Amino acid sequence: MTVTAPAPVTSAVPEIKAAKRRNPARFAILIALLVLLLLVVAPLLVVVLNAVKSPADYAGNGPLSLPSHLYWDGIINFWNRVNFGQKLWNSFISSIVVAVLGVVLSILNSYALGIGKVKGRVWFLVFFLVANVLPQEVLVYPLYYLSKQVGLYDNLISVVIIFTVIQSAFGTYLLTSVYAEFPTELLDAAAVDGAGKWRTLWRVVVPVSRPTLGVLFTFFFIWTWNEFFLPLVFLISNDNQTVPVALGVLQGDRLMDATTTSASALLGILPAMLFFVIFQRTLTRGITAGAIK
Amino acid sequence: MFRKRAGAAAGAFLLATSLALTACSGSGSDDDKNSGSDAKTLTLWHYEGPTSAMGIAWNKAIDIFKEKHPGVTVKFEEKSFEQIQQNAQMILNSDSAPDILEYNKGNATAGLLSKQGLLTDLTDQATQRGWDKKLSTSLQTTAKYDDDGIMGSGKWFGVPNYGEYVMVYYNQDMFKKYNLQVPTTLDEFTKVMDAFKAKGVTPLSVGGAEYPAQQIFYELALSKSDRSFVDDYQLYKNKVDFHGPQLTYGAQTFSDWVGKGYIAKNSAGIKAEDMGVAWEQGKFPILISGSWWYGRFASEVKNFQWGTFLFPGNQLHPGSSGNIWVVPEKSKAKSLAYDFIDITMSPEIQNLLGNSGGVPVAADAASITDPKNKELIDNFNKISASDGLAFYPDWPAPGYYDVLVAGVQGLINGSKTPSAFLDEIAKPYNENLADLGK
Repeated sequence: MTVTAPAPVTSAVPEIKAAKRRNPARFAILIALLVLLLLVVAPLLVVVLNAVKSPADYAGNGPLSLPSHLYWDGIINFWNRVNFGQKLWNSFISSIVVAVLGVVLSILNSYALGIGKVKGRVWFLVFFLVANVLPQEVLVYPLYYLSKQVGLYDNLISVVIIFTVIQSAFGTYLLTSVYAEFPTELLDAAAVDGAGKWRTLWRVVVPVSRPTLGVLFTFFFIWTWNEFFLPLVFLISNDNQTVPVALGVLQGDRLMDATTTSASALLGILPAMLFFVIFQRTLTRGITAGAIK
Repeated sequence: MFRKRAGAAAGAFLLATSLALTACSGSGSDDDKNSGSDAKTLTLWHYEGPTSAMGIAWNKAIDIFKEKHPGVTVKFEEKSFEQIQQNAQMILNSDSAPDILEYNKGNATAGLLSKQGLLTDLTDQATQRGWDKKLSTSLQTTAKYDDDGIMGSGKWFGVPNYGEYVMVYYNQDMFKKYNLQVPTTLDEFTKVMDAFKAKGVTPLSVGGAEYPAQQIFYELALSKSDRSFVDDYQLYKNKVDFHGPQLTYGAQTFSDWVGKGYIAKNSAGIKAEDMGVAWEQGKFPILISGSWWYGRFASEVKNFQWGTFLFPGNQLHPGSSGNIWVVPEKSKAKSLAYDFIDITMSPEIQNLLGNSGGVPVAADAASITDPKNKELIDNFNKISASDGLAFYPDWPAPGYYDVLVAGVQGLINGSKTPSAFLDEIAKPYNENLADLGK
């Protein structure tokens, strides 16, 4: 959700200029985009609306009414109840470590597979692809027993290791196809200048592909941030939990506390959105990065 | 979003295991596993919100526990229902298990764990500390599990602190507006709904997409039932005839209620939450659902007067004990855990539970001050004392909840006849019986 949400905004901006030229077709597209934008943003708006509404107000007037007054207690209570600051820190530290390690691992793998042209690399890629499509539920029990044996059950390290591997499987798959197209001129030039394989990787390949790596890094971070299922299984103590797991506290057996749930949802998506906004330029640059002068 | 490519994780742990060869495999002395009286911490989990009746009462219980055990630190963690529901088995099988926790009652949850040997047998404690005297027979049903993990008999594995039951919530202002009285028989109840219908008001707020609709169906079936039917249906004492008088009446009457417009056709897609909010907004005069709504209605409904009554004419009502305290087999402080359970059963905590809008199992009705709460508890005591708790319709078989939701939805939107509906729900029930070898 957070990844897709702002996209229409950027494409809508040039359309406004176009509308000034009074071109009816463009005008229609603008309307269509605005409708689309509204559809994408509407759920978020409802969340924001209910996050600042008192429970009695919600009960009396329903989820779509405007709040009669701004009610911050829901957000404040939730923050204190789950010790949200610590969850933010846990999520942040595990996501950033996974993003960094995942990118490094992807680079090493793809350098071997894409540029090094290791024997049987097609099969490696097939393996990574298959690994990508396995549902997490299948892995839970084996991972549970392994982590218990190793003494990493209920420990952030286990989640970091698992997601580093999961993310880098996808990263390897993507980056290998990028590196397979890597301009051989650059590699030859580096070889002529006497650079070894190691030097070529860090001094030539990585700098040239930095925009793509930026995209991977951003995605890894957000994906890891949003992960729910495996952290739910592996992070038992409240002190170790991440943000999405903490949000689950509010889902009761039979009852749902709609206003506090909205408040928590708002707290939960804000950091990921913020991160996305900050790194948005990296993303757009990365997408056009295939072309090399 | 395009995630869920979990895969490769298996590889992660190949890596992890190689690391582990150097790490030592932790663990060690569990000699004091059984006594635990010299333990210095009590790790306690539950998943009730801090403002709910249970949350309030249990927090107080923790305070009292601390007073009585000055040297012991209580490590309380509020868990999510989902985390416990999904992972209890894995957690209780590891060293991260708490010393005591709240857990769901029933065959598929507490029953399963007891069968796997993950829970401590509490039978001796229950008799020594008198919990068996405080809990009525129908409440004890969910506390005891036999060797196959089936509730109703065998050893004690859990202790419930609170009860719950299904009742009728009604909007007093709307009743007054149309000059209607609280019905005392099913006949009168039907007349009240007719009166609303005649004025163009749909009487019942129903959530067909979740549990509420099947509880109405069950409530209707119970109006023609006695205890032996409940024992047959829930505890597999005898084979249940799905086309017998009870279930046929339930299905037929439910379908009639839809036909007469007591239940709106579109309620098949309504969730429980929306059902409750629609009633809170005064869109419907009547809501048939459980006591778990009570505290919320009490604090949120400001626009009209409301009250409750038991489903008219019924001796049996859907309901049971609430969730139970269980002590994991791996608990390192078992005797402290027993002390804690004992405190939650004490009159002080039970009365606090009642005064906070919950349904205590062993409260002194005289010390409940709020008249509304008193009515709630009196009604529960009435049912409980006459052995009138009939549990919930989805209990007898694993995955039966979804079968019933889909079946009752068919009744609401008219895609199934009552007879076809009964055939549909009979099949998984009987398959489960066969699996159990009964």
